[in-house]
Amino acid sequence: MTSPAASPHLTLGPVLFNWPAERWRDFYARIADEAAVDTVILGEIVCFKRAPFIADALEESVARLLAAGKEVWLASPILVGGDRERAAMRDLVADAPLTVEANDMGALALLDGRRHAVGPFINLYNEATLAWLAGRGAVSVSLPAELPAASVAALAGAGRELGVEVEVQVFGRAPLAISARCYHARAHGLHKDGCQFVCGNDSNGLAVETLDGQSFLTVNGTQTLSHGYLCLTAELERLAAMGVGRFRLSPHDTDMVRVIDAFRGVLDGQRDGADAAAEIRALVDAPVANGFFHDTVGASYVTGAAV
Amino acid sequence: MDSFELICPAGNPAALRAAVDSGADAVYLGFRDATNARNFPGLNFSRDDLAAGLAYAHARKVEVYVAINTYPQAGNPEPWRRAVDDAARLGADAVILADLGLLDHAARHHPELRLHLSVQASAANAEAIRLYRDAFGVRRVVLPRVLTVPEIARLNAETDVETEVFVFGGLCPMAEGRCSLSSYATGLSPNKQGVCSPASHVRYEPRDGALASRLGDFTINLFAEGEPAGYPTLCKGRFVAGGGAGYLFEEPTSLNAMELLPDLKKAGVRALKIEGRQRSKAYIAAVVGAYRAALDAFAAGRPVPRPDLDAMVEGGAQTTGAYTRAWR
Amino acid sequence: MNDPTFTTDGRSMDGQVAEDRLRRIEAGMTRLGLGLAHRLGGNRLGREAEGVLFDRLMRSLAERHPRAFAALAELPEARLLIDPQDAPAALMLRVGPSLSLRLCERNEPAEAAVRSPCARLLDLFEGRIDGDALFFRRELVIEGDTALILALRNTLDGEEIDLFAAAAGMAGPLGRALPPARRAAGRLLGLMDGVHRALPEPLERGLAALERRLSGRLSGRLGGA
Repeated sequence: MTSPAASPHLTLGPVLFNWPAERWRDFYARIADEAAVDTVILGEIVCFKRAPFIADALEESVARLLAAGKEVWLASPILVGGDRERAAMRDLVADAPLTVEANDMGALALLDGRRHAVGPFINLYNEATLAWLAGRGAVSVSLPAELPAASVAALAGAGRELGVEVEVQVFGRAPLAISARCYHARAHGLHKDGCQFVCGNDSNGLAVETLDGQSFLTVNGTQTLSHGYLCLTAELERLAAMGVGRFRLSPHDTDMVRVIDAFRGVLDGQRDGADAAAEIRALVDAPVANGFFHDTVGASYVTGAAV
Repeated sequence: MDSFELICPAGNPAALRAAVDSGADAVYLGFRDATNARNFPGLNFSRDDLAAGLAYAHARKVEVYVAINTYPQAGNPEPWRRAVDDAARLGADAVILADLGLLDHAARHHPELRLHLSVQASAANAEAIRLYRDAFGVRRVVLPRVLTVPEIARLNAETDVETEVFVFGGLCPMAEGRCSLSSYATGLSPNKQGVCSPASHVRYEPRDGALASRLGDFTINLFAEGEPAGYPTLCKGRFVAGGGAGYLFEEPTSLNAMELLPDLKKAGVRALKIEGRQRSKAYIAAVVGAYRAALDAFAAGRPVPRPDLDAMVEGGAQTTGAYTRAWR
Repeated sequence: MNDPTFTTDGRSMDGQVAEDRLRRIEAGMTRLGLGLAHRLGGNRLGREAEGVLFDRLMRSLAERHPRAFAALAELPEARLLIDPQDAPAALMLRVGPSLSLRLCERNEPAEAAVRSPCARLLDLFEGRIDGDALFFRRELVIEGDTALILALRNTLDGEEIDLFAAAAGMAGPLGRALPPARRAAGRLLGLMDGVHRALPEPLERGLAALERRLSGRLSGRLGGA
């Protein structure tokens, strides 16, 4: 394996689903105690209505993760349109004692001149945009899931020159869309304002099938995710060779510690990427996908083209 | 009080003439490549087409905006930069951009060129809009279709950037420019290739009198005999979720905000936009004509005529979409 | 296009009615033309004549619409079946470098097909109607390569096409025959309409037969002039 400048860095993205506070707290406790991740990003970024439920657990989890030696960042919401969302965004940026990952241009505006990270929900497709973001104080960027290998390589190269770390999501359902409308509520015949928090029933999101009964997408409140789980274990070596130094895993209701260990094992050169992919397949309730990276149908899994 | 500006689509020179002749204040269009979000076969303008279109429109005091609103590909910025440079050189009245790097290029190299922020940038709050203004001198922002009218009003009260909103046509239920549904099913996306649910991946299959519409390997909808059909735009399909089958994301409806003209005026909106660069010149003439008549009546304080545009829209149904809270 | 308004009973009709009437006449003439060409195609000589006619029509269209024809020639080689469902035969358009139009059977294999009544296809071809709207109403059937159909639709919609003017602009006998034939057909069909409305059903069937014979005469004139 070509050795990159720094040792590969594993990032755990924010929990996207509406988990009860207890599960949330337990999850991060286990991450703090057992998981081989370097950075943990916390925050409710999908729906502001969920935020109050985890407020207490958030504070406690941050403390525990910091005590365990993790780097802890806070993430800003994906879609900020209404007043309450804007207030939440302003509070987050103003008060944060920690690095903030901006997921909306509004948060990015408020973070001007401060050390910050750029999340995967900011449209970053090319070197000129990366340079502009770097000029405003971004120290790290997480690339959109739909970027193909050629773009990742170009951006990783540009990031090295600019001194910005480049991150790629390597595990978890791919975020595909965000809306003002709540599809979870809509699927239950409810309205967003009276949603009864039905998104809490589905700890990995609500399955969306075609009329032919084919699994397709996943609804998570106002967010739409892929049905397949991104899994780039077989591509890790190639990513590292491109100069990508950070790898993001998106949390799901599965044995995340085992998932993390599988990735860590591949990054440390102790196990084979294809073998790790087989283990991941057994841990998740859906097929794995890597089509975006291979510049084809995102839902597909391309084998043998990894190197 | 200034009257609304009517911003109309054109997919080709004949549509541009139809829009101008039917009462557009400005026409927006794109070049024939992946630099714009309607990169469809047989559509759009060559450089010569743009020059001729500018001459036709300017002679009739109509402005022309060039949409260069996809995200330049890493390692290949030239087509996008050339598009901006050519639009400026040929005398376009504005360019409609979404990418931060391309906005930076335009602001540096064409300080006199008017910059509009595309809906594909999805700037949904005052903080974001002020950033685009301060960093690049953006003069107008096309708002994403995620805001209610009261939210638009508050946003206008907090910034001095002109706002333009969609009033008619296809409706994205997702925040624009932040959607990879199409590339998940086909590998091709609005942000990268300027296409959503591209025709190259669409097939219609007859099934015992019904009609199935497929996108890549996925069935997007099934229409019973005689039922109005729709193009298999992914988010307008029928799916099964939580046990029930139906239009999970959006019904096959079309946005029509004509009844909201007084509210949009009070909210401080400057320009109204009609969607449909991929639609025919017959559609352009009908919709632009109807909106011209409505805006003239509205400006004169006369009752606003309600033309029948049902035949023009998908599913034969219309909605005010995200502008009213009930949509959510 | 605005041809002289036709009159049935001495009074002139308003523009819209005249326009609708003209459409029906053109649709009728197109059906007749296709039927005639179809019969022509029965032997080798006839097929050659048919080929000459369609090549002339395409040349006439290409001269009038160079932008669209250049775009169609740039497309990858493909066959598009155009099926006017109420006409005796269909058309095969080959796009790509060897652009051509020929008569064909409606079940011939092609990369894509569009099927709709003759009048609708004419409206579509000349950009008077929105193809999406037609499709939404299920009046247009689309099969096969959707991108090819879209490319053709978008390309043609960029033009202001007048198929009959183009046909009249052809060199040769059809170019001379078409304008008078269109006027004659207008009067004839107008007359027929008036009579149809006045008659009880059994008589109307008889009249339909008469109409078919008259149509035959008309097509005879078209072909023989």
